[in-house]
Amino acid sequence: MLRVKAIAKAFGLIRAVDQVNFHVNAGEIYGLLGPNGAGKTTTISMVCGLLRPDAGEVLVNGKSFASHPQEAKSLMGVTPQDLALYEELTGRENLEFWGRMAGLSSAAAKGRANELLEALSLSDRAKDAVKTYSGGMKRRINLGCSLMHRPKLLLLDEPTVGIDPQARAKILEFVVDLREAGAAVLYTTHYLEEAEALCQRIGIIDHGRVLAEGTLAQLQQRLGEGLVFTVEGDFQESSPEMRADFEQRFRVLQKSERQLVVAALGRRDPSECLKDLLALPGHVENVSLKRPSLNDVFLHLTGRQLRE
Amino acid sequence: MLRTLLSKDLRRAWRNPLPWLLNLALPLGITAMIGLVFGGQSDGNQIGRIKFAIVDEDHSLFSKFLRGGSEQENSAQILAPVYLERAAAMQQLNDAKLSAVLIIPPRFTSNYLTGGHVELELIKNPAEQIHPAILEELLGVAVSGLNALSRNFAGEFPAWRRVADGQADYHEVSRLVEEEGNKMQALRHYLFPPLVGYTNVTPVQATAADTNEKEGPKFNMFGFMLPGMTAMFLLLLATQAVNDFHRELALRTFERFSTLREHLLPFVLSKALFCFVTTSLGAAILLGGGACLFHFAWPRPLEVGLVTMAYVVFATGLMAVIVALMADERRSNAMGNVVSMVLAMMGGAMFPAEQLPAALRDHLLPWMPTFWYISTVRNLWWSQVAWPLAAVKLLSLGVAGVGVATFLFQRRLNQGTR
Repeated sequence: MLRVKAIAKAFGLIRAVDQVNFHVNAGEIYGLLGPNGAGKTTTISMVCGLLRPDAGEVLVNGKSFASHPQEAKSLMGVTPQDLALYEELTGRENLEFWGRMAGLSSAAAKGRANELLEALSLSDRAKDAVKTYSGGMKRRINLGCSLMHRPKLLLLDEPTVGIDPQARAKILEFVVDLREAGAAVLYTTHYLEEAEALCQRIGIIDHGRVLAEGTLAQLQQRLGEGLVFTVEGDFQESSPEMRADFEQRFRVLQKSERQLVVAALGRRDPSECLKDLLALPGHVENVSLKRPSLNDVFLHLTGRQLRE
Repeated sequence: MLRTLLSKDLRRAWRNPLPWLLNLALPLGITAMIGLVFGGQSDGNQIGRIKFAIVDEDHSLFSKFLRGGSEQENSAQILAPVYLERAAAMQQLNDAKLSAVLIIPPRFTSNYLTGGHVELELIKNPAEQIHPAILEELLGVAVSGLNALSRNFAGEFPAWRRVADGQADYHEVSRLVEEEGNKMQALRHYLFPPLVGYTNVTPVQATAADTNEKEGPKFNMFGFMLPGMTAMFLLLLATQAVNDFHRELALRTFERFSTLREHLLPFVLSKALFCFVTTSLGAAILLGGGACLFHFAWPRPLEVGLVTMAYVVFATGLMAVIVALMADERRSNAMGNVVSMVLAMMGGAMFPAEQLPAALRDHLLPWMPTFWYISTVRNLWWSQVAWPLAAVKLLSLGVAGVGVATFLFQRRLNQGTR
């Protein structure tokens, strides 16, 4: 449904997006995961036509966006990160207005608004002005406005940012329903849990470049066979990684004076790994084992935590 | 689509009316304040009777003659004198119940008839401007008359003084009357007709309807001021309306529109249309509501309405250009307000444009669209002004402005919506 080919965008000397490639299939949620300022919104803005790429191409349903913009726009529904609503109007009026702008007739817009209000659990507040809504309700209406014309491709730019867990869960459920109905969804987020729970494939983006892409399992695979150890101790005056054959057994993900995070390489028994780590020079106080998360993958790729 | 966009904007304005109400209430309030300060309480279509006190400390035949003059039928139409002691008159003046106090000092008649120095004292109410000024002018006329009398009849004054004191017999009075009659006969070519005359002609057989038709509209201070206020505040209303474009940019709703539609022209045009509709409503409220509030009727209301519509188009075009040139709402608000105030002041919104410095008045004023509007509406009170020309000029400027603004918006949007 969507194919992005080597798009790039620079603002002055800053390369906000650099040679980004990915594709999203129908019935799939593709997550673009990265910290704030990584280039997610710039990417989505180029995909939906708000920004012109300096280079590269966006294909929607096999056709170039640049040569068929209106056709591409009619297939897309865009939920911007910032609320794009008229606060003086009611929830229903907002939905109907955006439906009309998307080309629906007045009657069709009314009918579709009723459906969405029901689906988003907002029917009882439909006649209230949006300015009286809670943050979560505004987010749901914001999402609903982009669904009025039943788009086949959904671009969701951090649709759950700044809302409580309950409201977030409702939105995520709704997005899963859309995917099951056959929509292709491009979902940007900096919440690891959302990407892990929601997306079939994930692209990790930082400093405008996609560093890795794949399913959650494929991304975890990059760290080895699924063992990550966190070693706590005093590493101020010692360098464990300098020890002979350490680099053949472990990959250092992060190191500080008090902590060392490593991934075991190859298929190894955890107890053997533990023995190796306890034998490290310096004063080791504690060793813990866990399955690698997306944050570990990000840590491995960038050398910093996603939340930093 | 334009209808949907416009109805959305009108609904938003309706649900957040405070900024609009302020822009409508302010001109009416300012007009009322200035009108009352400069013109006193209006009693309908006229400027109102001038209430003033006469303090007669002379109590002579001559002062009675002056008092009698102010009570004559013609004078009584505009003058409402009251006779008070000095202290009571000053108290009423301080309480703003009088426009002025005229004091006829003791021995005024005696000194006048003996050729001595005499003076009349007029104390004006500083809180009023026009009524005291009219009284001052009238008193100036009276003083000129007294001067003329003293120059031409000074020789007879001692004899007249004896008459005034009751010391002359009928023979003496008869002789004086005959002498003055002969002098008046010699002066008749200068006095009848006078150099400047006034004739009030009422056709004997005219019907009431004819009389109404031929009677010109009467001056009204509020009606004179309201076009100026309207000119300024319509520009401010237009600034606020067109600035909604910047609000939509800040709200990100314009971005959302851009994700749905490739052609942005309807959005831009809808803002111009929104501006035209809201500013027209504002004009109707200001001019229509003002007329009801201040109890007067616009002369030739159709012409006033058409010129005002043309001015609204001009305001829309001008403000659309300013908003298109400015980067954000704050800047375009500031620029719009400054331009509105300058144009309004230069066009005579707050004071008669003729009082501008000569260079500005002669070279700049004729090019001021605000002046075209204000002067046209004001002149509709009295004369057959060429209002269509002013309307066409305003309309043309407005349409050109909307065209330029659309081009600027489109060029800016082509560079990216942010």
